[in-house]
This record gives sequence, structure tokens and C-alpha cells, in this order.
Amino acid sequence: MMPIWTKSGKKHAVTLLKVQDCHVLKYISKEESGGKTSKLLVGGKNASPFFKSESSMEIFKEAGVPRKQKVSMFNVTDDAIIKPGTPLYAAHFRPGQFVDVTAKTIGKGFQGVMKRWGFKGQPASHGQTKTHRRPGAISTNKAAKVYRGKKMPGKMGNIYRTSYGLKVWRINTKHDIIYVNGSVPGHTNCLVKVKDSKLPTYKDCNKNPPFPTFFADGDEKLPEDLYDEEIFQFTDPSVTY
Amino acid sequence: RQSSDGKVEKFQPPPKPVIIDKQKQREERRFLSPEFIPPRGRTDPFKYYIERKDMIQRRRVFNIPEFYVGHILAVTTADPYANEKTNRFVGICIQRGGKGLGATFVLRNVIEDQGVEVCYELYNPRIQAIEVLKLEKRLDDNLMYLRDALPEYSTVDVNMKPVSRLDHEEVPVNKLKVRMKPKPWSKRWERPKYNIKGIKFELPESKMKEAQKWSQPWLEFDMMREYDTSKLEDKIWKEVSEGLKK
Repeated sequence: MMPIWTKSGKKHAVTLLKVQDCHVLKYISKEESGGKTSKLLVGGKNASPFFKSESSMEIFKEAGVPRKQKVSMFNVTDDAIIKPGTPLYAAHFRPGQFVDVTAKTIGKGFQGVMKRWGFKGQPASHGQTKTHRRPGAISTNKAAKVYRGKKMPGKMGNIYRTSYGLKVWRINTKHDIIYVNGSVPGHTNCLVKVKDSKLPTYKDCNKNPPFPTFFADGDEKLPEDLYDEEIFQFTDPSVTY
Repeated sequence: RQSSDGKVEKFQPPPKPVIIDKQKQREERRFLSPEFIPPRGRTDPFKYYIERKDMIQRRRVFNIPEFYVGHILAVTTADPYANEKTNRFVGICIQRGGKGLGATFVLRNVIEDQGVEVCYELYNPRIQAIEVLKLEKRLDDNLMYLRDALPEYSTVDVNMKPVSRLDHEEVPVNKLKVRMKPKPWSKRWERPKYNIKGIKFELPESKMKEAQKWSQPWLEFDMMREYDTSKLEDKIWKEVSEGLKK
């Protein structure tokens, strides 16, 4: 995470995400998947082809791509279908866009009810016998049962969570890095899924994005760094009022 | 030539003159700002490389002078609510913290009998100028104890003129021992954990002995805490100097 300053002098914290060897793996049509839209399988970071079953390796062999560590699905409209095997770059996103980031949260192991659900617990003194971090009552008398989904101690973390509506401040096309506002779930150097935001306020925020994606061998030659309009670039002199 | 003994001595050539090249000595001294050195952790060094590119870019446009803890600095920032839209603060640097673009330094001064500390970010674009008024290193890396010292040690004249330094060789170390206000202090500065050498402790011997009970002499031999930054520093110094030369 890094600080970033706007032209008005305000500071924002920014997370750096690197797009590492992303390829489109497979196209699943609407009828096959049984959903509302067709799907595209995308794979991330390269990994070793050994220690894996043959069936999972088939997808990679058909696409002609080394084995990927993370495979995720994206719902795609029919006019945005990409041929399996095309590489995806950070320039697929543009500064000023809004993005949702999904990742597995940091695993905390088996945790008690105070840390996991934020319960208040009991006082430390004034006669409490062996009860300081316990949940207390778990149901009422009339119910005569414990409801499903009752908040109790258990394994915390290591589940998929999304942070919505994160602004993209800057994109480095040379090293494929996306600067995303705020924090992102997951530990450092973990694998993350970045999608266009589904929030209704940011529906019309993408003005002419690269559609269906940014192709590196196309005619567009982008500069090394793409900045949002409000960012203070370090080549400019200091901010004055 | 024959000596007084009558023996023939072997010819000894005269000693060669040693030429002290002052220019070479000046180049040898190099200062790498502490925020360039990456902390120990599991982050990818590539992230620090990218951050360093931004830092070098900023340093090319705006000059950040070399300074240590104990220097007297004057910082002008852009302030939208001030009369002339600029705000100038003079003070002693008591602490330099943070790594990378978020590096900060704290300036302390006593203005009209009120102690004031301001924490500035080195790479904040609102800073318009940083001037070093007096170069002076102190015995410690962290002068937070000035909060509990007599106010005369933290007062800096606001209209002070910059003291000229011609020697580019060494930064002078001020071995001043500071006198403290009576206890209680904000932190127990006599404890060996803080390792302060710049205070003149006027506490009784028994108190000083009791403070030594909290010493942890095994810490300096702990191998897991060793972090050798010499090779990293060399690499980063080369990168930074090449980046600034362009």
C-alpha cells in the first residue's frame, strides 16, 4: 500500500495489484453453463505443471498455456467473448474506473466469539467467575432451540470476500500494475480477482474502455503510466493555492 | 656514500610524497536517506523498486536536502487558509519515521511558551521548500525526550539565519547533555530500552540501578533480529544517484 496525493493536496491510500501472466483459458456458452450469460475462464499466475491430476491439466493444454495457480470465472456478454489463449494486461482497466476486488481473507484459525463476531464479553472483575470472553445466552426460553446460523466460535477468515467500488487511480502498462484506492482483502502477495464494479452509482463510469480487452499487438501504443485527472504527478511542481 | 661505521649501506630511496586528493574524499562520503532502505518483511522487493522510482522523480523536481535528527529546519507548506497561502515553520527535527513515499519527520519548537510539534511528510506535494538552517547531529537517533527536558533546549529562533557550512566532509556531532524537568516524564527515559546518551540524569544512583533491571543484554546477540542492509544500500545508492543525475 502506498500514499497518493491529489492536485488539491489530499492524501489517499492505494493498493498495488500486479497482473501476472493472465490468460483466457476457456469459453463456456450460455447453454452449457445454464446461467443467464456466457462465461469465460481466466487463469492467473503461472505455476508448476506437476503434482496435479490430468483432468485439470486438460483445460490448460487446450488453451496452450502453462498451468495457472488461480482460475476464476467471469460472466460475459456475447459481444465481449475473447478467444482462449489471449493474454490479458493491466491496460484492460483505465484510470477513473471503479472496480470490485475479491480475494480470500487472512485466515485467523479457530477464534472465539469476541474476535469473530465482535461480542462484548463480560467484565474483568466484580465477581465474574471464569466468564470473561464467553457468548453468554444463546437463545430464549420460548424458542426452546438454538436457531440456525447462531453466531458462535469457529474458524475465522480464509473465505472469499469482496470490497466494492474501488477507484482505479493509476495504471503502469510497462509492469502491468493497477493502483486501486483503499484496502483489498487478503494478505500481501495473495491472488485476487478484479472485476468492473456492479454498484449502480458507478454504472456509467467507464467512458470508452478497451472493448473486449486491450490487445498488446494492436495498433494502440499507450504511454508507460496512465494517470487519473485528479492525481498529482511527481513531474509537476509543488501544489499551490 | 660511506657511513661513519665504514660499512656500505644499501641505497634507500626517499619516501614518496602522499597526495591527498580532496575531491576524491568528497565523493566517497555519501548519504542515503533512511526512507529508501526497505524494511524487513514479506513484501515483494519489486514494490519498493516502483516506489523508489516515484521518490526519485519527486526528488528531481523538488530538492530534499540531507538532514539528520537534531538539525534545525525551516519548512514552507502551501496552506489554503493562510494570508499569503504559505505557512513557514522552524524547528529541531526530533524524529524521522516511515519508509518509502510515506516518510515523515517531526519538527519541534517552543513558541510563546507553548511547545509545538509538527509532523511533515517528505514527499507531500504541498511542501514548497525545506531549508536546513543548522547542521548538527546529536548523540541519539530519536530526540523525543526533549518533551520532558527544560524548554530552553527546544526553543529555536523563528527568524534564525541559515548557518553556513563550508566543509562538505563531516556533519558535526553535538555532544550536549540535556537537563530534564522533574519527574514524572512521558516515558521512563532512564531505562536501557531507549538507550539514550544525550540526557544528564540527575537521579540518585539507586534509581539508575533499578532501571538497569529492565536491560535485555541478550538482544544484541539475537541472530534473528540481524538485518544487514549494506549490500541493499549499495544497490539502492547506485540506483538513486543514477536516477538523480539524469
